[in-house]
Amino acid sequence: MLNHRKFPVLLVMLLVISMVVTACGAKPTPVPTPVPAPTTAPVTQPTQPPAVQPTKAPAAGIDCMGAKAGDQISMLYQWSGAEEENLNKILKPLVDACGIVLAPESTRDQALLDTRVKAGTPPDVTFWNVTQLNQYKDLLKPLDTLGVHGANYAGYWQAIGTVGGQWLGLPVKADIKTIIWYSPVAFDAYGYKVPTTWAELDALVEKMVADGHVPWSMGMESGDATGWTGSDFIQDIMLVQKGPQYVDDLITGKAPYNDAGVKQAYETYGKWAKDPQYTVGGAKGTLSTGFLDAIYKVFADPAEAMLVKQSGFAGGAVKEKFPTLKYGSDYDFFGVPGAQGVQGGSDWMMMFSDKPAVKALVAYLSSDAGAAEWAKAGFDLSPNSKATAAYTDAALIKKGQILASAQGFTPDIGDTIPGGFGKAEWTAIVDFVNGADLDAALAAAAKVQAEATQ
Amino acid sequence: MSSRDDKVPKIMKQGRVAPWLYVAPALIVMSFFIVYPMVSTVLLSFRNADSTLPATAACIAGEPCWGIFENYRYALTSPIMLTAFRNNLLWILLMVSGTVAMGLLIAVLADRVRYERFAKAIIFLPMAISFVGAGVIWKFMYDYGSGKIQIGLLNAILKTVGVSAVSWLTQPGINNLALILVGIWMWTGFSMTILAAALRGVPTEIVEAARVDGATEWHVFWRIIVPVIMPTIAVVITTMVINVLKIFDIVYVMTGGNYGTEVIANRMYVEMYNSFQSGRATAIAVVLILVIIPAMIYNIRRFQEQEAIR
Repeated sequence: MLNHRKFPVLLVMLLVISMVVTACGAKPTPVPTPVPAPTTAPVTQPTQPPAVQPTKAPAAGIDCMGAKAGDQISMLYQWSGAEEENLNKILKPLVDACGIVLAPESTRDQALLDTRVKAGTPPDVTFWNVTQLNQYKDLLKPLDTLGVHGANYAGYWQAIGTVGGQWLGLPVKADIKTIIWYSPVAFDAYGYKVPTTWAELDALVEKMVADGHVPWSMGMESGDATGWTGSDFIQDIMLVQKGPQYVDDLITGKAPYNDAGVKQAYETYGKWAKDPQYTVGGAKGTLSTGFLDAIYKVFADPAEAMLVKQSGFAGGAVKEKFPTLKYGSDYDFFGVPGAQGVQGGSDWMMMFSDKPAVKALVAYLSSDAGAAEWAKAGFDLSPNSKATAAYTDAALIKKGQILASAQGFTPDIGDTIPGGFGKAEWTAIVDFVNGADLDAALAAAAKVQAEATQ
Repeated sequence: MSSRDDKVPKIMKQGRVAPWLYVAPALIVMSFFIVYPMVSTVLLSFRNADSTLPATAACIAGEPCWGIFENYRYALTSPIMLTAFRNNLLWILLMVSGTVAMGLLIAVLADRVRYERFAKAIIFLPMAISFVGAGVIWKFMYDYGSGKIQIGLLNAILKTVGVSAVSWLTQPGINNLALILVGIWMWTGFSMTILAAALRGVPTEIVEAARVDGATEWHVFWRIIVPVIMPTIAVVITTMVINVLKIFDIVYVMTGGNYGTEVIANRMYVEMYNSFQSGRATAIAVVLILVIIPAMIYNIRRFQEQEAIR
């Protein structure tokens, strides 16, 4: 039998544990370590006898830029597994032709990159996000000095990669989100046509409602990230109504987030997202349906909706959930009609070194041959315009065309603005769909945007 | 006296240093894992988002500014934090009273049945489940199917009786209650166990004497049992208040603080790990500690009083 007087001991133990838990959560101030920068990063890896001039002539279209066999390039990137294999496949012709030795490291941890750079021992080359261009602008070698084939890149790509008047990053990989998934079988059965303008899309949606179908499946539940599906959709609407420059202005803070253009996009979105005639379950359905379930609803039997706006991964999700369905006939996508630019994620190559081997890498990846290899490997899209004609995968061919015809490329607004804007944006979307006043919701997000971009 | 002192070997005498040696291990652990993080947290709360400048740097011209206390202005006056304070208050009122009342009720009733152990085990079981796991389980309970099929238990029941489905987690007014119910389900076992032990400690003589004197069971409960176990009830209440102030898992898993269900601890997490606003996050942490300290002092006082009685 337990004496009740002993229980406070247990309680005090619990309290101490609670105190510890509360006290945690403090982040130690990052202390930059001023290590003197060594002139060269000596990574000893004698895998190949050095200083042997390539005996065979370089393969067609590959310029070694004076790199000698055995020259090393240290690389740091986030890719691993199949992604890493893709990259190796793409770089193999260069490695074979010039005898360059790649010394790659794979990590998802940006802190590792930051530490290396601050310690004065950055990798020769890193593949990272666009925000790092600005972060490391003082240390990166301009592409013009590295033998880049600039003509292969659309002006907007060069503009994104330019900081302080210098082109510092080479976009190597892109994935686009400005697409809508649908079922060609269902479209055929009901006589619907893929729309090519926003007006046609709007008319198609109204026709579906008139026919008694629910056009959209807009579910966006995603735990504490609920709202991101909506933010993608709204950004696409802005790209239709206002264009890529407007989105860039929002990112830089030139246009406030409670601007009339933003409000218009939200209202266009809300007309569909809050009404059970237009989307599965109306506002409640949009808020409480998981984003994956929202994809499945369009391709399930019976289908609950006709259209779902979602990034490229939706194809993989459908394939996994419904293995019998075929891409192209049972599920397919089209670009958001009327979008003046596309949004998506992109990976950038940044050079901390201008040694010959690095120049060879830059020249190769930006060349026609490099673009063709990238397209052949099917490692998402290559921003290199010469890749467009070289894709072999059906979905990539179509995405490549959408990208090629775009007049701009915008990153996700919420991901790009720092300081909690992403969460504030989601909150605005969730609150708006849940019936809150739009002006108040946007004003709250605009406040965070102003703080972050001041 | 002096002769007795001489007989004690010198090594056994307690000097000024010896006590410190005994407590040193505990002090070192405490200072590393409690004092240092706490001091660091307080210092960071006066810095800006990435701790590089004083908090004053976050002020925007033309807007109210509390100078070095800028992060506290956010922690105490921003609309989302006011929502969080309101919700935490609601959680305290409903969840503390709910767990204590249910715990006491079950403890008293289970005492009188043959399958007592089984009943108590069932009630205690949720405590053994990971909080995140429980959140996921209840997310399914509350699931709102936008299509024709309702896989959520509650909505399936509503559908069978012909009432239209409710979106439990997104509807303001209902969603906070739905979350608090999960909290009560999880923590009732805790208060039940402690209260049940306290009930066992009630001297049978007084209870029997009261019954002999003709007191009804109702009177015995309210006039004898409750006053006797009152100190334990008080401890359970304060412990629950502290727990509820720090409530995080349920909200994080089930709504992510959306739809007006934000609570202090979740906001702290969001500021720290989603928004990278370490100044604001630590300011919220300090506010949370300050709110909890009175409950903690009360609890420790109780504990010391009971030690004194012993």
